[in-house]
Amino acid sequence: MNSATQSPTRPQPEAVTALTARLRSEYGDRALTTHAIREQHSHGEGLADAAMPDIVVFPHTNEEVASIMRICHAARIPVIAFGVGTSLEGHVAALYGGVCLDLSQMNRVLEVNDADLDCRVQAGVTREQLNTELKGTGLFFPIDPGANATIGGMTSTRASGTNAVRYGTMRENVMGLTVVTADGRIMRTGNRARKSSAGYDLTRLLVGSEGTLGIITEIQLRLYGIPESISAAVCQFPDLKSAVDSVIVAMQLGIPVARIELLDDVQMDACIRYSQLTEFAAKPTLCFEFHGTEAGVREQAQMIESIATDHGGSAFQWATKPEERSRLWKARHNAYYAALALAPGKQGFATDACVPISRLTDCVLETQADVATTGLVAPIVGHVGDGNFHLVILFDPANLDERSKAEALAARVALRAIAMGGTCTGEHGIGVHKLDALRAEHGDAIALMQAIKRALDPLNLLNPGKTVPPV
Amino acid sequence: MLDPAFTSSLAQVLAPASLLTDAEDTRPYECDGLTLFRQQPAAVLLPDNEAQVVAILRLCHAAHVPVVARGAGTSLSGGALPAADGVVLSLAKLRRIVAIDPLARTAIVEPGVRNLAISEAAAPYGLFYAPDPSSQIACSIGGNVAENAGGVHCLKYGLTVHNVRKVRAVTIEGDVVEFGSDALDSPGYDLLALINGSEGLLAVITQITVKLLAKPQYAQVALAAFDDLERAGAAVGAVIGAGIIPGGLEMMDQQATRAVEAFVHANYPLDAAAVLLIESDGTPVEVAAEMAEITHVLTASGATEIRVSQDETQRLLYWSGRKAAFPAVGRISPDYYCIDGTIPRAALPRVLRQIEDWSREFGLPCANVFHAGDGNLHPLILFDANKPGDKERTVEFGDRILQLCIDVGGTITGEHGVGIEKIGGMCAQFPPVVLERFLGIKRAFDAESLLNPGKGVPTLARCAEFGRMHVHHGELRHPELPRF
Repeated sequence: MNSATQSPTRPQPEAVTALTARLRSEYGDRALTTHAIREQHSHGEGLADAAMPDIVVFPHTNEEVASIMRICHAARIPVIAFGVGTSLEGHVAALYGGVCLDLSQMNRVLEVNDADLDCRVQAGVTREQLNTELKGTGLFFPIDPGANATIGGMTSTRASGTNAVRYGTMRENVMGLTVVTADGRIMRTGNRARKSSAGYDLTRLLVGSEGTLGIITEIQLRLYGIPESISAAVCQFPDLKSAVDSVIVAMQLGIPVARIELLDDVQMDACIRYSQLTEFAAKPTLCFEFHGTEAGVREQAQMIESIATDHGGSAFQWATKPEERSRLWKARHNAYYAALALAPGKQGFATDACVPISRLTDCVLETQADVATTGLVAPIVGHVGDGNFHLVILFDPANLDERSKAEALAARVALRAIAMGGTCTGEHGIGVHKLDALRAEHGDAIALMQAIKRALDPLNLLNPGKTVPPV
Repeated sequence: MLDPAFTSSLAQVLAPASLLTDAEDTRPYECDGLTLFRQQPAAVLLPDNEAQVVAILRLCHAAHVPVVARGAGTSLSGGALPAADGVVLSLAKLRRIVAIDPLARTAIVEPGVRNLAISEAAAPYGLFYAPDPSSQIACSIGGNVAENAGGVHCLKYGLTVHNVRKVRAVTIEGDVVEFGSDALDSPGYDLLALINGSEGLLAVITQITVKLLAKPQYAQVALAAFDDLERAGAAVGAVIGAGIIPGGLEMMDQQATRAVEAFVHANYPLDAAAVLLIESDGTPVEVAAEMAEITHVLTASGATEIRVSQDETQRLLYWSGRKAAFPAVGRISPDYYCIDGTIPRAALPRVLRQIEDWSREFGLPCANVFHAGDGNLHPLILFDANKPGDKERTVEFGDRILQLCIDVGGTITGEHGVGIEKIGGMCAQFPPVVLERFLGIKRAFDAESLLNPGKGVPTLARCAEFGRMHVHHGELRHPELPRF
């Protein structure tokens, strides 16, 4: 029997057969073994490295999740939690088969506490669903990774996104959890108090643990008052350096911008074509959003505009009406699909890196030069206020040479970021694709991560093969 | 007593003046800010650098000697209480500010640096370090990380955990490990969050990278009076519920305002049942807009009087009473016991009313001075230790308040930590499934439990013993465990 962080093995076929029969009898049409459904649960977005689970189960309650977990624990069968499958680093691939727990039917908002600015949701609630249900309360949940991911998935991968520069990442916005442990017990972590110094911070340990330490079934989240005034502006630059330098100055002045998004000329060209943004040129571009009181927003915008002008930026083009803003941000969110549309038939390898803000210009410019040497097309976008940027590397999956060039480029981006005091992933997580980069970045801390994995999942049943490299 | 061979191996690492073993030299280390508990250590070690910390921990690990790390010794929960037959590892000499990077807005500091010294060193760049526990003149940043310290400003700017980017620490086996990153996120498990608030149980911190923030251009504070305690509690919820996150939101009840007024003469309205202090900071334009909204909400919540500071002198005067509240209360009562519990804000009116009722029932006055915006209560129970029965009733009163905090969905410590003081309370707050995870994490870092033993996380056996004495609502805690 494998133990945690050893290389796991597939369970015995007889054990799998007995387990699937039992789950099908208990859960009926909520336990499926058809090829189509297993295939659909074999991968996220990003690289299509699929590995199918043996069965997909759709639990409705914490108790059902606990019961399934106990059965799998007794039979030594791996369990992979699944939201809507928008992760990018192979997090949900069932590398060793086993049970895929699809939590998408646990999709109720359990409570909204207006006065305390918090809410409790089941793991399968999506980001957009939550904000729809919050309509009328004057509150919203700001974290926005682009995809309409589930809150459970965003918690598991410690997602951030375009708003993180103002509102933080999931790390700052998850207050507590309900978790099913590896041996099938239900536990609550954290609480609704704003601060606690009692015991170790299990909540933050679980946030970002990618389903390897427990199954997250409920999440207590911070909410925010919808700002009195919101406006967005676009500014275009003669070159990438001026755009990034403007961001650095803005951040150093501590201007509380709600979003700052960078698109390089290649990405801007893709977005203009894909989202018909014909009023813009294919130049390096910054999109800003300002939140606050009317006076505060005006003041922030004036400060940013003068910084941008100093760096050769164009006059601001404003999007003040809600429909203008949503058109703009929709175009930003569709950047990945716009990039794919640049080269039909090719696949996109989305990679993500993050550096201290003072090194951002160096890292982005070196990366752009690096892309040019490979002959590949790889547009750059980024939540640059956080020092976080993404590269969508386009490659032909049938062309092995192109694929290996793409992988090598992604590995260089990770190492470059680490060398600059940054990290190999600002928000996509480790999954399977970044295990080597994690090793490069963390050194000695990996042994402690492995020890924690052993402590919380001694049989290595929770999403085995992910997040922490084997011993 | 330490084994002489062990002591002589320590003498190889440390200069004689940095290795204290005589009882008169180790006496000052027998307790921290929680003077109720005292224990003299076998030795006190004062390393000068990280290499010595590594060497000491390797020796202690090999000889199975318990180690209690200590900063400035201001803990209010006994976090730095020595272990019998163990050593105190003082980080007081590691007090260099290694670097300040105004562009990245970070400071790299050693653990013995005082909290306030960081803001002082950052001030020339227009920057400051936000978490500001009341003891910030004295307490060390290493201790702040170990306890996940808060303060008046953490409502808006976060706790220590939100303001630390990276921690360098030494494990009990003597390995140097870095947690966190200079960038926004650090992949893999969030070990940085585990180290924050771990009370010296997981590793010994030797270097910390903290975030610095730009000093707000302008700040104003509103002082609002209420003729009813519950109404003041409800007003706190109303301010936050309106989507305003002020720079600070503090409450004082009449017992507290009367004590501080005699001490600092801040001109507080003494006939008010409670006073709120609400600060707004930012650019002058933002502050003006936010202050208008704050006064609107306070008026609608039934404030009987609202004063807004018109200049910096007045702002500091309004705050002076809050900052001096603890010493001021110390003047009016022979002894006081400070409770630290946190509740969801919406429960404030109910909990304050209950504390008032219990205060009458026990015949013990109670002053409330606290971080209302966070729901972090600090009831100060006034008693006289020389009066027979006062101490026992005080402890029972405090226990009831903390149990109420748990019952309304809160926690037994908002910012002071568990230490030795609340080890029993941990059994009341957490079920076995959670305590087992805590113990598993502890074992992953420190299998022999040499780092700060007996603190922070209770063993299940201890909880069973505690449960024997503590039957809550007629329910025995942990009935599945054998009794001892």
